[in-house]
Amino acid sequence: MSVKYGILTLLVLKNNHGYELKIELESLLGIKGKVNPGQIYTTLDRLIRDQLVLSVGMDDQERKLYKINTEGKNELENWLLEPVPYHSTRDDFHFKWSCARKINFEQEKKMLDQQKAMIMKDVMELTKLKTEFLLQGDENRYLLITGTLLRLEADLNWINQVENRNRS
Amino acid sequence: MIKISNLNKEFLQGQEKTQVLKGVDLDVREGEFVAIMGPSGSGKSTLLQLLGGLDIPTKGDILINQSYLNNMTEKERTIFRRKYIGFIFQNYQLLPTLTVEENIAFPLHADGNLTKERNQQILELLDSVGLNGLGRKRANLLSGGQQQRVAIARALVNNPSVLLADEPTGNLDRNKAEEILGLISRFNRENNQTIIMVTHDIFAAGFADRIILFKDGVIDQVISRKDDDYAEYVANFMA
Repeated sequence: MSVKYGILTLLVLKNNHGYELKIELESLLGIKGKVNPGQIYTTLDRLIRDQLVLSVGMDDQERKLYKINTEGKNELENWLLEPVPYHSTRDDFHFKWSCARKINFEQEKKMLDQQKAMIMKDVMELTKLKTEFLLQGDENRYLLITGTLLRLEADLNWINQVENRNRS
Repeated sequence: MIKISNLNKEFLQGQEKTQVLKGVDLDVREGEFVAIMGPSGSGKSTLLQLLGGLDIPTKGDILINQSYLNNMTEKERTIFRRKYIGFIFQNYQLLPTLTVEENIAFPLHADGNLTKERNQQILELLDSVGLNGLGRKRANLLSGGQQQRVAIARALVNNPSVLLADEPTGNLDRNKAEEILGLISRFNRENNQTIIMVTHDIFAAGFADRIILFKDGVIDQVISRKDDDYAEYVANFMA
């Protein structure tokens, strides 16, 4: 999960203030969501420092408003289009996809296709390794890879399900 | 080496034309193991039929071992198929009342040359697919996994340069499927046989060197494994 990209996603929808960004981000994270307010403000400061977000005055309740700029949008799009490797624990494709859906990202198909390709590449590599371990009689590693392959298969089935529903 | 150029296939159903393949271009290297995936009706099985010379394209070329399949007469295609192509099907397609050995030898009878050497070759094939001692058993008395092994031996008896497999593990459980795919990959490596396998199953496709994704009669994506840096990266991670 990345607070940074979650905030950028929400700022694409509208200029917003820190408190609402926290509430919205928690909803974007679904069942996993609980974000500490300090994390929101330090991330916003960093986004301003990196010139991806601007501070654009106060709303009618004297809350500081933030706005995403073109660089910020480009940064978000690059992240959305970067496939997630299977062993990544930091990022999660489901979160990325939720961000894409939230902003009706027009390149969702490309995003799904690239993720699918990455999964298949991983499956081919891991199958090769699995066969080697099997031939070497390394039962533990063989079974561990089998477990990873089953998870990848589930991820792929999920992407196919999303694509089928998008098509109909 | 297989070269497919601008391959089109139309089927006529009553008055209605259905275009199943819409200009497919694909090169397959000698000794390559390719998996073809895609939703039902995307054209993958039709492609396999055309590659095996079981049907002819509406338009386009299929070049296998320097011969254009699309320019042959039906008789020439039959001879070509017997010589260069082996088939493996999901439902094995064995002759149930014949023995295992008779099933394996079946493609040889068509040539009328079942010699002593050929008999020896069948025994060796039985051994290599792990069916030692079962040669005299009737095919329909075997389990699904064993029947598919017989079908593989039958497909290999002519030592074809190309092996076409249509959902070869579709009727088998995971463990049996893994054994069959292991066997197919072994023949691919040891005999440098080119393999084109249609499958729904990513587990099976994982054994290939390249996955071709079909959608609506065209190639939608091609995913290759040949990337040593990436292989090393994954291997290190799993070490």
